[in-house]
Amino acid sequence: MSTEMIVIYGLAFVLTLVSFLKDPLKTKQGLKKGMKSFMKLMPVLLPLFLFIGILLTLITPEFISRFLGEDSGLLGYVFALSIGSITFMPPFVSFPLGKELLESGAAYPQVAGFLVTVMSVGLVYYVAESRFFSRKSAIYRNAVSFIGALIVIAVVMVVFA
Amino acid sequence: MIKFCRKNAFICLLVSGLILMSVIDITLTYQAFDHTFTQIISMLMIVPPIFVLIGLFDVWVPRQTVIKMMGQNSGIKGMALAFFLGAFSAGPTIAAFPLAMVMLKKGARYQNVLFFLMVWSSLKLPIVFFQITQLGIGFASLINVTMFVVFVLGALVSEKVMGKKELAVFYEKARATE
Repeated sequence: MSTEMIVIYGLAFVLTLVSFLKDPLKTKQGLKKGMKSFMKLMPVLLPLFLFIGILLTLITPEFISRFLGEDSGLLGYVFALSIGSITFMPPFVSFPLGKELLESGAAYPQVAGFLVTVMSVGLVYYVAESRFFSRKSAIYRNAVSFIGALIVIAVVMVVFA
Repeated sequence: MIKFCRKNAFICLLVSGLILMSVIDITLTYQAFDHTFTQIISMLMIVPPIFVLIGLFDVWVPRQTVIKMMGQNSGIKGMALAFFLGAFSAGPTIAAFPLAMVMLKKGARYQNVLFFLMVWSSLKLPIVFFQITQLGIGFASLINVTMFVVFVLGALVSEKVMGKKELAVFYEKARATE
């Protein structure tokens, strides 16, 4: 169990307890509401996880390091950004991969572009996000993150040049 | 069948992908199911307390408070709070959507909610710390500071681009959700 999990479970437990002592009825209402929004997420979530499962199978770390490496040039950037935007990867996979890529000779800006898009551009989440908010809002958030990745690449190029 | 696929294009795409994978190499399909299962489990581990917190937030924090802290006139304080909430979070971005929805429903400003989502997606403290251990503090800080600036500007610009009319519809929709 990671620290963040202990903290979040602890927090939820303590707050529920405090809430219950203050007002049991309201607490029940709150828990019900939480449950409801969880249930609302479920139908979107299940196909999403199937998609993530397929992505994790096809786009493996080995696959990525084959394309991002020494002398991959402009194509390497295009690849880094598109794979980063499309795919999903838990942080405990993506950052060690980033480290490995650097060690095997990939350029810093490329790795930065990949890592930023993999975290913040979630085309995987697009369906869920546009259902919750609006299509436009989902596009804006992803566009801002993608532009951010481009800016990060530029900044890293300047600093690590 | 065609009707179903028109309505659920995403699911049909996934199923065809799986069929294609099975034809090429059935072990790929097994792997995909295996990954799906692991991801669902890891999500089910972290997500329940988040929804407990969302529910409690919904019943205990009055609309007036949210409007004051993160609403139209909350200014820099609203952005700061959005950052704080996003940074001290855990869990996948997808768990942030329902929470963001409750914020909007209670009168938080779009710009702040969008900023919160952006921070949650990539500037969560637990992830930032992990990132530093993997990439070194120099490289990690460069990425994170740049993204922070981009997110602040991006959130402000997105609200402007959205336009008043569309924002009004958007807030209305958020308020109508139960």
